[in-house]
Amino acid sequence: MAKLYLDSNKYETAEEPLVVEAFHSAVKDLVRRKLDQHRLSWPEFVFGPSYALIDAAELAQVDRRLLDAGYRYTSSAVISALERPEAYKPVGGLGAGESAFSFEHPAAVVEAADARGRERRGQGDNVVEHPANAVGTARYYRSMQDVLDSLTGGVPPATIAIIDDSGGTLTAPILEHFKGVICAGGTVRSHLGILTREYGIPCLMNAQISGIRNGDRVEIEVSAPARTTEAYQRGIEMPARVWKLTTP
Amino acid sequence: MNAPRLSYAQILSTNNIMRAAGEETYFLGVTRTVQESKFFPVSAYIMLGYLNAFYRYPALLRKIERHMPPEDLADRVRNVSSKAMSMGINWCMTNFYLLGREMLINLGLLRPHDACEDVFYVLDFWRRYQLAWRREDGHITCKEGGHRSQVLPERRIQVFHADLHPCAQGDRLHTAADAFLAAISQYAVLVACESRACMTNHGPYNLGGGRELLVREFYDLAEGDLPWLDGVAADVPHARLTVTTAVKDTHFYIVDDWGSFESKPEYRGEKLCGIGLYTSDELSETHIPLGMGSRGELADTLERYTAIFKDATARLWRRFAGYTRDQLMDAGALTYYNIIKDFAHIAGCYEADDWNLIDRRAERFRVLLNDEYGNQVLGALFVPLSCPSHQCSPYTMMQHSDLPKRTYSPLSAALLRDEDYVPTVGALHPGITYLPAKVDRYRTTQGVMGLAELNARVRGFVPQLCSERFRHLDDTWVKYHYDTPLADELYRIEQQYSRKLAGKGAGLSRDDIERLADPV
Repeated sequence: MAKLYLDSNKYETAEEPLVVEAFHSAVKDLVRRKLDQHRLSWPEFVFGPSYALIDAAELAQVDRRLLDAGYRYTSSAVISALERPEAYKPVGGLGAGESAFSFEHPAAVVEAADARGRERRGQGDNVVEHPANAVGTARYYRSMQDVLDSLTGGVPPATIAIIDDSGGTLTAPILEHFKGVICAGGTVRSHLGILTREYGIPCLMNAQISGIRNGDRVEIEVSAPARTTEAYQRGIEMPARVWKLTTP
Repeated sequence: MNAPRLSYAQILSTNNIMRAAGEETYFLGVTRTVQESKFFPVSAYIMLGYLNAFYRYPALLRKIERHMPPEDLADRVRNVSSKAMSMGINWCMTNFYLLGREMLINLGLLRPHDACEDVFYVLDFWRRYQLAWRREDGHITCKEGGHRSQVLPERRIQVFHADLHPCAQGDRLHTAADAFLAAISQYAVLVACESRACMTNHGPYNLGGGRELLVREFYDLAEGDLPWLDGVAADVPHARLTVTTAVKDTHFYIVDDWGSFESKPEYRGEKLCGIGLYTSDELSETHIPLGMGSRGELADTLERYTAIFKDATARLWRRFAGYTRDQLMDAGALTYYNIIKDFAHIAGCYEADDWNLIDRRAERFRVLLNDEYGNQVLGALFVPLSCPSHQCSPYTMMQHSDLPKRTYSPLSAALLRDEDYVPTVGALHPGITYLPAKVDRYRTTQGVMGLAELNARVRGFVPQLCSERFRHLDDTWVKYHYDTPLADELYRIEQQYSRKLAGKGAGLSRDDIERLADPV
């Protein structure tokens, strides 16, 4: 079997993520096989026959083998799972009519209601410190259809948008109409953090929440200090709280 | 076996650039998680863009240099706005190329020393460009300058300073500026498929009196290089906009190589106390003010543009919502890969197929680029550094993490001895795209035109500031010659469109400018 340059690695630690390890091992096996089959030296192979020998059809088999073994990918973009449902895990909670859906993040801190009827349901990183907390009605935006519905019919008043997308494109045409944002990803420097800062919309990034559903009244602690770059770098948590309001 | 063609000094210099770039990539990555999006398959398209950069940058940069060397490109960019400034080159150019290389190394398809002459060439082109572009500052990156991006010469800063229109929280101009900055930022992120490729910031510049100037740049806003803007951006009146913002009682202590900023206290819209608006490109001598005749005219202009950008955002969002995953992949990958394309515009050798196609050598990997692999491999290459090529001797401690890792595989000095290598990936291969064909329509400061005409006009235009008479007159020269007719001539070219400084020349101090400017 042909030996690849990476095969001699004094400091190998075998810590690649699962799919990376699966794909990279399979591609390296493919390369070894092709070198053997065609009796090519590396300099002959690398910027010449490798393009035809390691082509899209061969690489598609690498993907196929992982799927045939029963693995299903986790999607990020909605369209990925829509176009290849056989390759991705199902995505729940899409559609505004999904009233039972809730993010259930294990790290969300949940506490009983306080004297003001505020039941703690998680926390996030505050983007900008505001004079007062933001209060409104929770509404999930997880798909293009969710956004299209609001683009057509308008964003309901006092909407606190719950988004698992730290980007600024999914909600681009309606973002400015939100009263607040709870984003279950990213950091205060992610696009959504930057754009909400530009719009002056209260926002928590990197949020971990539990038990908040469409239509719930929520309060986000945007009067807390904003999480700083140094805090990220040093791993210092600066949690701003998220409450579900149990009283009107 | 090939005879070694790189020298020891070239290998060492290349490794120095790679090491510094890798450490800053780690820093930038650790302060931001992997960018995910429900709309775009971001990580997957990023990796496709990186691979395209690896296979195509060497040939395209050599083509550009045949028309114009990097130092000349930098001197042109200094006087106008271009994607070839700040983030696009500070970080993206080198790291896109190197991250594509590192992915191929870890796939077993490349040895670290394969294409080593390309690696040296791409990084050396970058070094030469950066040294010239950042000549007033003297640092090769924002990181090297302590996360500052003070790149402009005094003559330009003075114009920006003098022409600022004051604004205060609650007044019409301030409200218009806030709304405009939000709308254009939103649009720019969408145009760039969930990336910051179409906007950056530089500065801060000290205006005195507790105020700092942060210059905000926006690119590729109108019909031009990006096929997805054909039609939907027909009403956008300018392809590039420069927004000058004066901010009080706020110190921008980080302006990094991604063009992101951090401030103490945190930036708030209410701290904005002055604003200006300009456009420029390869066909303009310098920055052209927009709506800058009065505060009212500027507020009108910002309000009008805000409406235009909101409308274009909605139209572009609907267009993207109708795209297939492959089309979204292409748009994103090309946005990343072609972030250096303005070099070709400056040199007058821009060809749409150079910058709007995925090279077949990169295209073959599309079938692997599902969302999860994209996220995992991008993450592995950025912060955990968990691929085999990243691991180092356990005695070593990487900057920021203290772990025995490094981001990029250096070139071994053993290349000078007995290692064989293949020096280059060679010429461009044919490419493909799932996107509609690019319409031959480019909006410039001289109107809308086809590409052939645009290239011809650029090649026929030498800005006065780039003529041999002026191009080497930097701030160091001005310091000791500000009282000469030549210095006055230099400054007057820069001041020609200025509301406050036209004809004033080189002798003004920052205090003089403050007295001439409209009072805050």
